[in-house]
Amino acid sequence: MTHMSGCECKPDRAQPVMTRRFANCIVATAAVILVVFLMVPGVSAQARPDLNGTWDHGRGIGFVRTQTFADGSVCVIDCPQPANAPGGGRGGAGATPNFPKYKPQFLSKVKDLSDHQVKTDTVLQCQPPGVPRIGPPHKIVQTAREVVFLYDDVNGSFFRIIPTDGRPHRKGLPASYLGDAIGHYEGDALVVETTNFNEDTWLIDNGAFHTKDLKVVERLRRVGDTIEYQATASDPAVLVEPWQTRPQTLKLTDQELEESARCEDQDIEHIIDGSHHDNPR
Amino acid sequence: MRQRVKCVPAVLGILLLAASAAFAHHSVAGQFDTSKPVTLKGTISKVNWMNPHIYVFLDVKEADGSSTQWALETLPTAMMRKAGLSKESMMGSPGEVVTVLAVPARDGTQHLAWITKITYGDGRYYALGGAGQVQ
Repeated sequence: MTHMSGCECKPDRAQPVMTRRFANCIVATAAVILVVFLMVPGVSAQARPDLNGTWDHGRGIGFVRTQTFADGSVCVIDCPQPANAPGGGRGGAGATPNFPKYKPQFLSKVKDLSDHQVKTDTVLQCQPPGVPRIGPPHKIVQTAREVVFLYDDVNGSFFRIIPTDGRPHRKGLPASYLGDAIGHYEGDALVVETTNFNEDTWLIDNGAFHTKDLKVVERLRRVGDTIEYQATASDPAVLVEPWQTRPQTLKLTDQELEESARCEDQDIEHIIDGSHHDNPR
Repeated sequence: MRQRVKCVPAVLGILLLAASAAFAHHSVAGQFDTSKPVTLKGTISKVNWMNPHIYVFLDVKEADGSSTQWALETLPTAMMRKAGLSKESMMGSPGEVVTVLAVPARDGTQHLAWITKITYGDGRYYALGGAGQVQ
């Protein structure tokens, strides 16, 4: 009989049936595996990443670096920053521009849309922002057959239901702001593919329009108490190449979602330069 | 000639990116005249906790004893929540006199402004941006 270091998991060949020692070994091994699945964050008994939870990613406003003071004062915007403050964050100072590459014949359209954003950007009229502009979900509810993304957005509370049981895209649905999504698991990542968008939304701020043939693939990978999120938008009719959003890290939080406040724009009519209303997301 | 044609999209792309950067913070300046700040003193009668911008209504006593209500616009609710501020904290105590540094509407609409900084009776303040760095 060969002796191995640690657990000996070979049946005793001297016995015609499985020995008690070998059976104990099997039980111990199974118990260890079960404990690993139960204790390691992000690993479920079904070997799918556990994405359930509320996830903080700055609500798309990660560039806001609030300062609070002992007397209760709060500086929300335009706060003095230390000279060595990192640029970080979408739209933050020092951030490298990340804009979709449009085919030359569409550049003037993008510029025109951006120049007249007050009239052309439906987000400014409180419409749903679309995907990927809406950003990562704020809460994820995962079941055996589907995943639900919940959003607490400036423009409202939105949801996306994403089948993960092999169902194909639904046929005959009207095109929509958030499209039709299906998902599957690739190792420790959830991959969501969304199609069937209307053409009322942009990929990002500044006139980044798309066609009805837009396809967005989002990847969510659980790493400890975080999720790594990135979306890729493909629209070959107008884009030179697929465009990737900046990678974002979502942090597990105890702060529960709230119903979004009513969205009703009252200031666009007062904008007199007729041009642009920055709307970083 | 071919090189020149190739250059056009590149130049347009650079111009587009430059334009994007230049537009980075025009949302306040497009509607409010940041060069003409005003200081208002009064009591807050209502806070409309709504998106995309919260409205604070400030009753200001005029020299003749009459009262004028200002509609003061500020940040979206998510930004306020991220900063730990709520509708209640914006309201302050009933009857509390607050001092507001604001920038008025550029289109001439009377008594419409953007809050740059609001200071409460106990000295605490909320700096809400829109007119450069608050000191």
